[in-house]
Amino acid sequence: MKRFDCMKALAARLKDELVILSLGGSVDEWYNAAPHMREAGLFQQQLGCVTPQAFGLAAGLPHRRIVSLDTDGGLLFNLGILATLGNEQPKNLFVVVWDNECYQSIGGPPTHTATGRVDLAAIARGAGVEHAHIATTVEEFDALCAKGLSMEGPFIIVAKVAGTVQPDIKRKHSDGREDKYIFVRHVEATEGIVIMGPSEHN
Amino acid sequence: MKQSAVEAVIRGLKKAGVSIVCYLPDSLFKELYPALDADPDIRTIRVTNEGEGAAICGGVFLSGKRAALVMENSGLRAAVEPLARMGLGAGIPVVMLMSYRGELGENNWWAIPHGITMEPVLNALRIPYQVIREEEKIERAIADAYSWSYSAYYHSGVALGGEVVR
Repeated sequence: MKRFDCMKALAARLKDELVILSLGGSVDEWYNAAPHMREAGLFQQQLGCVTPQAFGLAAGLPHRRIVSLDTDGGLLFNLGILATLGNEQPKNLFVVVWDNECYQSIGGPPTHTATGRVDLAAIARGAGVEHAHIATTVEEFDALCAKGLSMEGPFIIVAKVAGTVQPDIKRKHSDGREDKYIFVRHVEATEGIVIMGPSEHN
Repeated sequence: MKQSAVEAVIRGLKKAGVSIVCYLPDSLFKELYPALDADPDIRTIRVTNEGEGAAICGGVFLSGKRAALVMENSGLRAAVEPLARMGLGAGIPVVMLMSYRGELGENNWWAIPHGITMEPVLNALRIPYQVIREEEKIERAIADAYSWSYSAYYHSGVALGGEVVR
């Protein structure tokens, strides 16, 4: 199963959601698979922080669905977030874990899921996230997206994808600071709020 | 902590507009956590480590709400990686309220590392902070930290020590 194909299936189901996603090979793929979500997506660079940030966003905007596009390496860095989600039960958080069983962005050394013994969906269920499922085909993945995006979460899909990157796609070239401004201005415009406001005259 | 100091912290958080607090409990703030849990205007989120708490606070910032990360100062070390990346890489701020374990007066050997490392770690990350040891200065210090962080879009900290926590 190719991650890019899954992304295209997910992207077709997204409209008003906000997305937090991991840096690495998946960024350029998402940028190409979901161009209509460009301003609504924030790329984060640190292992272990994607789903926690998405949860923080979900806590702050409880009326809006938040999508976390995490990775096996990222989730393994902080499995504790699964227990936090198990206890907090955020209704509006939808998580996809792109489990390619490797640290792809640095050339592909294996993560702990590569042995076949570590099941991130089972860990999530054990941590109290009842709806945590594995997808091994695009059809399974798409059906789980349809389910997870139409019910109250938390909902986690562990997508077992190949360790390859879609070839010949356009590279994203903005940095974390530019991305943050783009994202924050989008949240401000769509929520009718001020996050980074004008300076005081004093 | 005295009840009056607990109330000063909560007044400061409210003055700053905080509605979500992430915490990993510690002993010096032990009276503060149940008071935060009980406050109807504040949602508390218990986390499994302070780095996770920092990341959640970063996400709350992006929502337009205001969050605080409340912890023992040892938690600063656990949070360094997400703080460095969010703060220096993206300009996503986290405001921290820490108990100052390991300062002069500390009577536990295991807390000595927290005192020795807290201020150098804050300085390494270039995070401005105040150490507050007088109750009447708590509220203003917390509000000032938010004013600065929402101008700089960078982290700031308040460490409570001395008679405030012992």
